[in-house]
Amino acid sequence: MSDTPPGDTVLEVRDLHTHFFLRRGVVKAVDGVSFSLKRGEVLGLVGESGCGKSLTALSLMRLLPKGGARTIKGEVLLGGENILQHTPAEMREIRGRRISMVLQDPQTSLNPVFSVGDQLREAIERRRKGASLSEIMKEAVAALRRVEIAAPEQRIGQYPHQMSGGMKQRVVGAIAISGEPEVLIADEPTTALDVTIQLQYLKLLKRLQAENGMAILFITHDFGVVGRMCDRVAVMYAGRIVECGPVKQIFEAPQHPYTRALIASVPKMTGPAGRLTTIEGQPPSLMDLPVGCRFASRCALVEQRCLDAYPRSVRVGDAHTADCWKVSPP
Amino acid sequence: MSDQLLRVEGLKKHFAFTKGILFSRTLGHVKAVDDVSFDIKAGETLGLVGESGCGKTTTSRMILNLEEPTEGRILLEDEPISGLQGDALKAYRAKVQAVFQDPWSSLNPRMKVGRTIAESLIVNGWGDKEKIAGRVRELLLQVGLRPEQAEQYPHEFSGGQRQRVALAAALASRPKLIVLDEPVSALDVSIRAQMMNLLKDIQAQDNVAYLLVAHDLATVRHMADHTVVMYLGKIVEKAPTEQLFADVRHPYTKALFSAVLVAWPGRSEEEIELRGEVPSPLNPPAGCHFHTRCPYVMPRCSQQEPALREVSPGHAVACHLFDNA
Repeated sequence: MSDTPPGDTVLEVRDLHTHFFLRRGVVKAVDGVSFSLKRGEVLGLVGESGCGKSLTALSLMRLLPKGGARTIKGEVLLGGENILQHTPAEMREIRGRRISMVLQDPQTSLNPVFSVGDQLREAIERRRKGASLSEIMKEAVAALRRVEIAAPEQRIGQYPHQMSGGMKQRVVGAIAISGEPEVLIADEPTTALDVTIQLQYLKLLKRLQAENGMAILFITHDFGVVGRMCDRVAVMYAGRIVECGPVKQIFEAPQHPYTRALIASVPKMTGPAGRLTTIEGQPPSLMDLPVGCRFASRCALVEQRCLDAYPRSVRVGDAHTADCWKVSPP
Repeated sequence: MSDQLLRVEGLKKHFAFTKGILFSRTLGHVKAVDDVSFDIKAGETLGLVGESGCGKTTTSRMILNLEEPTEGRILLEDEPISGLQGDALKAYRAKVQAVFQDPWSSLNPRMKVGRTIAESLIVNGWGDKEKIAGRVRELLLQVGLRPEQAEQYPHEFSGGQRQRVALAAALASRPKLIVLDEPVSALDVSIRAQMMNLLKDIQAQDNVAYLLVAHDLATVRHMADHTVVMYLGKIVEKAPTEQLFADVRHPYTKALFSAVLVAWPGRSEEEIELRGEVPSPLNPPAGCHFHTRCPYVMPRCSQQEPALREVSPGHAVACHLFDNA
């Protein structure tokens, strides 16, 4: 369990830049991302495909894909220490112990040729060096019980293919939290699950969080999940966070034109079922970003200064900021 | 002739589950679709909703004549579709088209998109080269692309644009019905809205009917005139969409609705969280298939299978809670 008192910042990301250096040019996939995460808090990171949300997560874990991706600037402070400066050996101590990750597809996160028990054991052993096998297996059963898997004593000897998608994702969750991390990064953990199973999984995550007070960075493209899970939300567009604030404020009074358009384009379960609002056009190429606001080419409110310079970040309310020239401070 | 474009009557599809290769024996049957009936009117949209494994895709594959039903019939304009061969089958395929979920795997990467769109016209000997090229240009414009994009390859398009190409290819033969199997679930939110609006516009112009297979209720609400909810191969509820959303009856449909994460926080409605998972279709529970997860389960639910009966005009539910309604 983490020693930080509630409300304290456990993770702070400052001006993170992760680019792909390719022969064709530089893809600025993450280009100046800053946010902080408090103990016991859930921060949602939303955006469309290619906005850089998953690469932000991989940068924090220092698990960048091979082939030219490099974090060239910025700081990732975990409990005050910049982990971008750590050696690979020091990072291995941090991963799974202080920061863990759950990915979208439980099918590929688990090894198909090892039993669930073996995979849990691997995670628990690292933390409890010198413990006997029976102690570790007892703990593995307890870990499965914590993620509400029925009959964990039988399940522990089974292989991933013998389990359903929802159950596999629970096992992944059990492995991720077995090291009692301070920060859990959940990258679209429910996208591959059916809706009734999704609800079960989100509620489980909430319960686990209440138990051990970890902070969660929840990456998703689904505003429904944000409304259910998150305390604050950061909206990403073309490599940058364009708006960040408490969930309620973002939903009720979004300030950035992109956030507004994005929320308006979601089909609703109530109200008139007529035509949907759309955002015309495409996001800019990350190889050839405009100097000004990145949303300018699709924005209805665009004016000259939006094209000339990237907007300053405006504080529009309590812990609520938006990067837009057309937004003025209250 | 009735005003129904497509009628599906008592449709069943059972897949044999076998063991061994040379001396194989049948161990049982997976009842993927088990006694499903519904109609689609010309120019209307029917939404088919349910979780994975409920039989919605198998149903749509039978309508596309890619799968032969075990029992029951499908009629298009009062003509049964089973046993169609040769030219009659070609004519059927021209009338019933499909757009699938993944625009990355549904287009041939080595074919210019113009050629993909023209394919069904060429197969059906629709006209000469000039005439077909003209139709392709017209289709590209109709789906919001530029005519000169016919010369490009799929990799030059984004996901949303590819889905437009797939739609143009489906529209080429002027079909009466298009099966849309999760047409927007692979697309980003802002692109999804564009595609949904486009589908509605095209329906208004061409009077084409859609069978929309989807798991997202909000999408169905915006697109469909009627909605059918399936669970483990059976229809549990069907109604005009507006009525269904105003007055959900079946406990499973209720659970499905409450599992939809309403985006706006702080809304606390009656919430049903289902325990457990969808049982195996190899060995579905006796009686009502849903009774193992149902919060309102009664003794007779595990013994007797509820029939689909009308609870109000056009609104049918298969649940013992409404036996005396």
